[in-house]
Amino acid sequence: MLDSIERITFTATLILYFLGTVSYLIYGSTGKEKTARPGRLVTTAGVCFHLVSIITRGIHAGRLPLTNQFEFATSFACGIAIVFLIFTRIYHFDILGTFIVPVIFLVIGYAAMQSRDIHALMPALQSGWLGFHVSTAIIAYGAFGVAFGVAGAYLVKDRKDGASDASRTTASGAASRIPDKEVLDNIIYRAVALGFLFLTLCMITGAVWANRAWGSYWSWDPKETWSLITWFVYAIFLHLRLNKGMNGRKAAIFALIGFICVIFTYVGVNTLMSGLHSYK
Amino acid sequence: MSVKKILFFLKSMQFSFILLFLIIACCIAGSVIPQGETLGAYMRLYGEGPGSLIFGLGFGNIFECPLFVVLTALLSFNLVLCSISRFPSLLKRSRLLKEKNGHFPIGIYGSWITHLGILFLIIGFAAGRILSEEYTLYGIAGSTQPIEDTGMTLTIDSFDVDLRDDFTVEQYTAGITVTDQSGRKESGFASVNHPLNAFGYSFYQDSTGWASYVDIYKKDTLLGSDLLCVGEYTGTDEMPGLVCQLYNFYPDLATDADGKYYSRTPLLNNPSLLYAIYFNNRMIDMNMVKEGALIPVNEFSFAFRDPTEYTLLVIKRDPTISFVAAAALLILAGLFISFYIKPLEEKKYAGFN
Ligand code: HEM
Repeated sequence: MLDSIERITFTATLILYFLGTVSYLIYGSTGKEKTARPGRLVTTAGVCFHLVSIITRGIHAGRLPLTNQFEFATSFACGIAIVFLIFTRIYHFDILGTFIVPVIFLVIGYAAMQSRDIHALMPALQSGWLGFHVSTAIIAYGAFGVAFGVAGAYLVKDRKDGASDASRTTASGAASRIPDKEVLDNIIYRAVALGFLFLTLCMITGAVWANRAWGSYWSWDPKETWSLITWFVYAIFLHLRLNKGMNGRKAAIFALIGFICVIFTYVGVNTLMSGLHSYK
Repeated sequence: MSVKKILFFLKSMQFSFILLFLIIACCIAGSVIPQGETLGAYMRLYGEGPGSLIFGLGFGNIFECPLFVVLTALLSFNLVLCSISRFPSLLKRSRLLKEKNGHFPIGIYGSWITHLGILFLIIGFAAGRILSEEYTLYGIAGSTQPIEDTGMTLTIDSFDVDLRDDFTVEQYTAGITVTDQSGRKESGFASVNHPLNAFGYSFYQDSTGWASYVDIYKKDTLLGSDLLCVGEYTGTDEMPGLVCQLYNFYPDLATDADGKYYSRTPLLNNPSLLYAIYFNNRMIDMNMVKEGALIPVNEFSFAFRDPTEYTLLVIKRDPTISFVAAAALLILAGLFISFYIKPLEEKKYAGFN
């Protein structure tokens, strides 16, 4: 019963995010307000189904559903979706969806390709710290995902502004609906700040847990190393941004690079490198 | 270049960026190049020239190699200089804001606190590398052994593997007694995620594996016995060069469709041992035997008995751990203050020296 609820709601989520992606992409390229509203509705419905799917899985497994590739990927997508909805509520602009909802769809698509079997946890994973560690990672990654989308919007805007300055034509399509760079820069900063704080928390809770389980809080395992790289990249972003105006573009590029590091830390390290975090 | 200019560069953010890029490059290298391998392994992996270069430069242990240590030390130095040089202007701004708003403007100290935390963390981590002790011991229930040069001994009173119905492991638990130099004893249990603390050391249940006793005979005379964990070997003084290795152990031996050996369950239902015999480093025999069966080699013979699971325990003492934890909390507090308590008028402040 729970199993089928989980499966049905997961499939519904996948379809809804796909529809969200399509409508936001149409909105981005045509600028028709009519296509933004369904995008918002469908994505919000997607998040509701998504939460039901994750919660039923948790009840079914009798534990936090945050312990294997599938569970983490689906929660990661949910994290980005929730942070996205919060940010669109606060900043009221739909074009964000054109950049972010496709990312959410890609991440949940990746989840759909993973095995959904529920396994009992190996002893090292049976720790209260696991819940803190992974949920802080989800918030951090969700916030960085949003920063990535907005940084994409910033760069599009930056290019179009340059082009329209040069040719004295008005920007069209997506760029005309993208808010001012100042506003975007502020949102990127807010999102990265939230992500950075939670990434730091994630690394600290992971260290506390590793210290309980293995007696060593940091062992340069590839996943730890890559999360440190990600931390440094976002630290560079924060410092670049302090010199405002000058470095808006550079900072946006670092927000993009940061998220590429996030994705690599998450997918690349698991598939290309082995270590404590390989869920094997 | 004048000293002033050099100092200006050393405390600058450009210098931090250069250092951070180089540190990131080291981290990437450290995650791509397998760490802690031998020269031979690197030569096999990357070819003779590049392999020996990687090993020679210390990239096989990149996070402790001189380059990485120097980069981290320079970053700390850069951080100290910039923190010191920014402090007077920070105090001045603080005073101005206090006069204006009537309360202490903690918000402007966020980045300063973060940087202090990072500095403490680096110092604590480095000190931990030097001051911490770590020992690894393994043994079966009933064994007692010294913990290297600590003067303490460790007795493994019991070792239990708690299995679920599907034979996956729920928990490993070792019951242990630690005796210090003056004969005082502390006992308790160490299981995964629940280390035992005794005499200032923490005892971690790390991993487990199979072991078996092996009796060595010459004709009918028992020459001696040894406990072998899987992978280990033993021999006899009577015949130097003759070695018997416990190659693998299958508690519940079965063969799959391709004729490959595997263990059906982790229970001792059909215990079988895969052994190898070497003479002067050449393998002369390898086979599967049951417990008690004699393995003859000329006038000698080996017989395995009483297979059992051993436990591997890691024993640690790190006097810097509280300091490192405090540094981590300082970073966290600093970040929170920087991002969420910064006064409005500070948001426009660029903060470059
Ligand atoms: C990886 C290491 C570092 C991290 C995580 C870090 C973190 C931070 C954070 C979070 C802020 C506040 C940013 C904001 O409010 O938007 C900041 C500001 C700053 N950092 Fe760093 N930092 C690091 C290394 C450095 C280094 C090595 C320097 C040395 C030059 C430096 C100099 C500064 C300066 C001058 C500010 C501006 C301070 C202000 O206006 O309040 N940082 N840093």
